[in-house]
Amino acid sequence: MSGGLSVALRQKRFAGGPPVLGEIAFELAPGERAALIGPSGIGKSALIGLIAGLDRDFEGEIRTPPGRIAMVFQTPRLLPWRTLAENVAIVCGDPARARALLADVGLSEAADLHPERVSLGMQRRAALARALAVDPVAILLDEPLVSLDPASAEAMRGLLDAAFERTGALGLIATHDRREALILADRVLEFGGRPARLVSDRRSPLSRAERRARGAVEALHADWFGG
Amino acid sequence: MAADVAQPVASGPETRPAGRRGGALGARLGWTGLSLLGFGLVWAALAALIGSDELPGPVAVWEALLVQIRTDGYFGHLGATLARVAAAFGLAMVLGSALGLALGRSGALDRAFGGWLTLFLNLPALVTIILCYVWFGLTEAAALAAVAVNKIPNVAATLREGARALSRDLDEMAEVHRLSRLDRLRHVVLPQLAPFFAVAARNGLALVWKIVLVVELLGRPNGVGFQLHSYFQLFDVATILAYAFGFILVVQAIELLILEPWERRATHWRR
Repeated sequence: MSGGLSVALRQKRFAGGPPVLGEIAFELAPGERAALIGPSGIGKSALIGLIAGLDRDFEGEIRTPPGRIAMVFQTPRLLPWRTLAENVAIVCGDPARARALLADVGLSEAADLHPERVSLGMQRRAALARALAVDPVAILLDEPLVSLDPASAEAMRGLLDAAFERTGALGLIATHDRREALILADRVLEFGGRPARLVSDRRSPLSRAERRARGAVEALHADWFGG
Repeated sequence: MAADVAQPVASGPETRPAGRRGGALGARLGWTGLSLLGFGLVWAALAALIGSDELPGPVAVWEALLVQIRTDGYFGHLGATLARVAAAFGLAMVLGSALGLALGRSGALDRAFGGWLTLFLNLPALVTIILCYVWFGLTEAAALAAVAVNKIPNVAATLREGARALSRDLDEMAEVHRLSRLDRLRHVVLPQLAPFFAVAARNGLALVWKIVLVVELLGRPNGVGFQLHSYFQLFDVATILAYAFGFILVVQAIELLILEPWERRATHWRR
């Protein structure tokens, strides 16, 4: 598939250990948003790292779309000795654009603060702004909403939607939270077993607009996962 | 020593409005001044009580200082010592940092040379000095080399810890965002190493000051160490104390005017 993401992994193991990831194959079309779900520690982050090119030690083939890939790590990984604006500007090379990107995620007031002086929710938003500074064709997100309070999570969800709309990038979102997956994604890939494999690959029947309604998401959650 | 370099504590005060910081500094200087005044009084009283040339009072030392300034090139000797300290300190920081970073980044290098580092860390300063003078003659280069060799293992051990503590997370962040090598160094690596540089510099300066005097005493024709040796032979305690105080003053000025502001700047982002 041209312009999309194609993963054809045979195996991934960390030095000396047993394989963490088994055979995993899927493709994402340009603009498609998929969630990668499964329990914590199953290897979702490992796969995200492979796709991001941080780890090239694996068997198989991963083809990424031409262009830059953005990554939002589970922890914000901002430089604590630089202000939020500097953190973004280091990546995009343009202080004015850095401020505009921060304004997009509601951080114009906090642009000159250091990361340790703002909340985790704000740090996450700054990390999102930094990721978007590379003009990505694909955005990888590792547990983007974890350990945020409900209001911050809701705000972040809205910002993610807006970021995807604006960039038209394809997205892969690793999360252990099934509801979060159903809210954010067009498609849900589920990891299971050890080494991890895809145990299901389902397309959400809900449109992006429909997913904003809590009831529809709950109904789909009950339908797919029971309870 | 290697043991106490593992956790450099960044001891900067939190960022405060400039006025308050200035006020706190003023109060601190005020108390230090009072405390030193007390020391001067006790010293003068003791000297008066004993009434011997072996414990001259503050006035006698002040007079000795003036004599030195007028007749024996006081500032020239102080300057010579200062220049040696600066040269040896710079040499040791550069070489020690490079060595420490290399050892901290490469497991193989650390296994190969970690033992050497321990060896040199525990080599007595006097042995290094004597060997340098024996092998290279009583030259300036030998003197500087002796001081630097004493100091390099300390810097290396400290920076090795710093290199080991570099964050993999931030490394990955830099990789994903394709930061240039220069940007990585400026924004990611050096700020992480800054507290380790500060610790190495601070400990290093204290060590270099002391060793430089010994080096001068053993084989240099000028400098504070040389003067101390000369006046020791004359049992001229007042002049010896005059050099000691000049020395203390310079060290404190460097500490207050250079090291502390720099450390504050390097850690201003902390909560």
